[in-house]
Amino acid sequence: MPVNRCTWTSRSLLDAFRGSIVTQIARVGKVLVTGIFVASTVIGANAAVADVPNANPPKGTHKGEDVPQPIEFPHDIHAKINEINCMYCHTYARRSKVAGIPPTSKCMGCHSVIATDRDRIKKLTEYWEKKEPPPWKKVHDMPDYVHFTHEKHLQRFVFNNEGMDVTRVSEVCAFCHGDVKEMTVAKKTKPLNMGFCRRCHEANNGPSDCWHCHK
Amino acid sequence: MSGKEIDRRSFLKVMGWSGAGAATLSGCDLPTTVTIEEGKETVVSYLMPEEYVIPGQGVWYASTCQQCSAACGVHGRVREGRLLKVEGNPSSPIGRGKLCNMGQASLQAHYNPDRLKKPLLRKGAELQEATWEEALKYIEERAGKKSGVQGNRAAWLTGNVSGHQAVLLQAHMDSFGSISHYVHELINTAVSGLANKDVLGEVQPVYHLDKAKAVLSLGADFLGASTSPVHFATQYASFREAPRGVLIQVEPSMSLTGANADLWIPARPGTEGVLAMGIANALIGQHGVSAANLPAGVKQAIDGYGIDRAADITGVPRTQIEAIAKTLKERAPSLVLTGASAEGHAHGYNIAAAALMLNVLLGNVGQTITSSGDPAFPQLAARAGNTRDLFAFAEGADKGAFDVVFMWGTNPVYTAPAFLNFEDKLSKVPVKVAFAMYRDETVAKADVVLPLSSPYESWGTHLAAYNSDEPTVAVQQPLMQPIYPDTKSVGDVLLALLKMREPNTYSAFNDYYAYLRKAFSELPATHKVGGSDDAMWVQSLQRALLAAKGTPKELSAKPVAVDFPAYEKDAAYPMHLAPAARLGMWDGRNANLPWLQEQPDQISKVVWGSWAELHPKTADRLGVKNGDYISVTSAQGSIEVPVYVYRGVHPDVVAVPIGQGHTDYGRYATGRGVNPLKVLSQVTDGKTGELALYATRVKVAKVEKKKPGINELMVRFGGSESQVGRKLVASVTADSFNRTEGA
Repeated sequence: MPVNRCTWTSRSLLDAFRGSIVTQIARVGKVLVTGIFVASTVIGANAAVADVPNANPPKGTHKGEDVPQPIEFPHDIHAKINEINCMYCHTYARRSKVAGIPPTSKCMGCHSVIATDRDRIKKLTEYWEKKEPPPWKKVHDMPDYVHFTHEKHLQRFVFNNEGMDVTRVSEVCAFCHGDVKEMTVAKKTKPLNMGFCRRCHEANNGPSDCWHCHK
Repeated sequence: MSGKEIDRRSFLKVMGWSGAGAATLSGCDLPTTVTIEEGKETVVSYLMPEEYVIPGQGVWYASTCQQCSAACGVHGRVREGRLLKVEGNPSSPIGRGKLCNMGQASLQAHYNPDRLKKPLLRKGAELQEATWEEALKYIEERAGKKSGVQGNRAAWLTGNVSGHQAVLLQAHMDSFGSISHYVHELINTAVSGLANKDVLGEVQPVYHLDKAKAVLSLGADFLGASTSPVHFATQYASFREAPRGVLIQVEPSMSLTGANADLWIPARPGTEGVLAMGIANALIGQHGVSAANLPAGVKQAIDGYGIDRAADITGVPRTQIEAIAKTLKERAPSLVLTGASAEGHAHGYNIAAAALMLNVLLGNVGQTITSSGDPAFPQLAARAGNTRDLFAFAEGADKGAFDVVFMWGTNPVYTAPAFLNFEDKLSKVPVKVAFAMYRDETVAKADVVLPLSSPYESWGTHLAAYNSDEPTVAVQQPLMQPIYPDTKSVGDVLLALLKMREPNTYSAFNDYYAYLRKAFSELPATHKVGGSDDAMWVQSLQRALLAAKGTPKELSAKPVAVDFPAYEKDAAYPMHLAPAARLGMWDGRNANLPWLQEQPDQISKVVWGSWAELHPKTADRLGVKNGDYISVTSAQGSIEVPVYVYRGVHPDVVAVPIGQGHTDYGRYATGRGVNPLKVLSQVTDGKTGELALYATRVKVAKVEKKKPGINELMVRFGGSESQVGRKLVASVTADSFNRTEGA
């Protein structure tokens, strides 16, 4: 039952570390049974929710911290109200392993004329005139021993995905980054741990060799 | 997000159940033990990226490796402004796209946590951090225009130096009217260089291993610690291609080259010259090689060493001497080389001259040894180091001949033998200025220390100490911004010193880059590839080199008559010390690079420490086994070191590789192993005055170590010398191979 691997939530396994060995065994047994049950039902449910064709989005949530940024960047205004494609600013995502924080010149491409009277844009212009990029804080990260590439994932779910419309790329981004359209500054809403990755790889026939990610 | 603590025991417990239970448990959803914090790290975007820059994808830039004086071209992979990997540059005629372990580890030299970050000024016994203004003011007061320091009282003590850095250094010395430039390198070719000059008319001819069909190496570790290890290794690779060349290595303790040889011969140390004479005798007597091109005195000397006499002196059997002669005769053209273990004797010059005599006799000159020609840019040529200069500097310092010394690129307080008393003599120079990337034993004695940028943060040009047949000016360009903003490149430091002396000439240059651009624009038109200054500059940076073809020349072939002292035993000190240099630690400068420390030694497989190689017979006699401690005692002092028992060492030799035993060289090197250089005897080569590295006689005794400290344990990889019958590497005897495959 390969599906059954990696189905433990961190909480249930942590619970298993508490109490006596006997109760631990009992608990592990119980969790094991629910685990099998959950695993066999979850995937069917996923398929119904997803709008991305040929994809079973990963499951799991994470209650991220609020990360104060030098400029409170409103993802909602850009992606939801103005319907700007994620890849317009995160232009490297489809070309490289990292999505890249947009260069300041990209921001100024629009904001030298748009909304120049707003406080946040004034602050941005100050950075631009000092020739300094704003010191953004990192929200999503991987340990150094994990090789994750945005490019390959976008190929699989967007560009080489029959029936997928590139304008809806944000739904693919949301697999790992959550519904950024509803956020102002980004917040981590997915656990991005190995179980999260593995479940998705199994559900979508992604590679399962250790060295695909640990190289 | 380090989450809740899980100790190892609980983790294993749960893992254990999964093995015994019905289903497979996994830790995939465990909170990671690595801290991935949200919002703690800054992620800096580009302000306005170059079109070709894609974050996450590396861009390769060309530059030049500075880990030794070979000047191999490198390509460095740079991602988001950080240098991540260094590889060989295929355009470079030296390394031809290859890079050695030291070059690979240059990345750790660059990112070393022990790098100097601020200038240091001596306040009493301590060196304390200072600003550049304070440090330069200190120097200007003592060695500036108004200091009154004149002539040879201003001295320079450096390692190998070449290119435009050498030009600026020369200009700085000229501003004093000084000729006191002392170039100290422990690993050098000074002895063979003089012999080459006398016999061939050129200090550093070009060797063509790839054209030779047989190589007789008298202690030349050309694959290891030599003048151009990567270049010789690539040549060696084609030498070994079919038809396969034969390599015969004669040396007291096995080197990397020796380990690759077809025949490895441990001649009695210091008798390699007699062996060469015996081989010459066999060539003339048994193979009818004409001695007509040898001067009468040389022929006479060869006659004096009959094969039996040579066998008796060297300890090499007559049959082997005859076999070597036969191989060299049948496999023309051949090549005879000498290296440190043969040249490091009181008669080292004679041994090198005898090897050259063999080359002349065998007709190799003009075939496998050719002229490097007159250099295109003599003013940029390498000032090659030696040990003679160190002695001369020490003598001058002792006599109070210097007011100020500028030290850079050499660590003589570590490499000088104890008999020289170098530290005391150095302390007699009132003002000691050092430029360095790290604090080392010599830097610690300086009065003012200027922190250098790493070679990958600096501009520069270099001419290799050993030029291949395609001489080039190797260009060094910065691969990234300096990690520490308060460091300066060597060129910039030299410019700063020159501005104190010659403000009119040098104040026009804002930085060393400006100086180099000017220097390149003044090159003769023949070198201006691409037609314009800018085109030439861009092309020089793309390939990190500028062709510098010299004027062709012919070598002379006039062997000099030499003789050899009788081999004498020393009853009090019956053993020979072989302080072998290795590709890795080199002369000790790389001991602060963890990658090289943890790389198992090529011969003994020891990591992170010192060891002494002893022949099994000698070890039996002393009653020691692997890891036991022995004392190695010369007339100059004693070191204690663990034993590695190995057949690749002459029974009368104890080999203690150099590089360890640092006392003040950062967190990785300090207090690790021993420095055999300290116990060397006061013997120098009679002709050149070079330190005779291999001429120290020692006695060896077992030492009981009750409880060795953690740094005293000998840690070896591999464990076993034998395949225990498992045929991991299948082998056949030469006889059966010849029967089936043909000789």
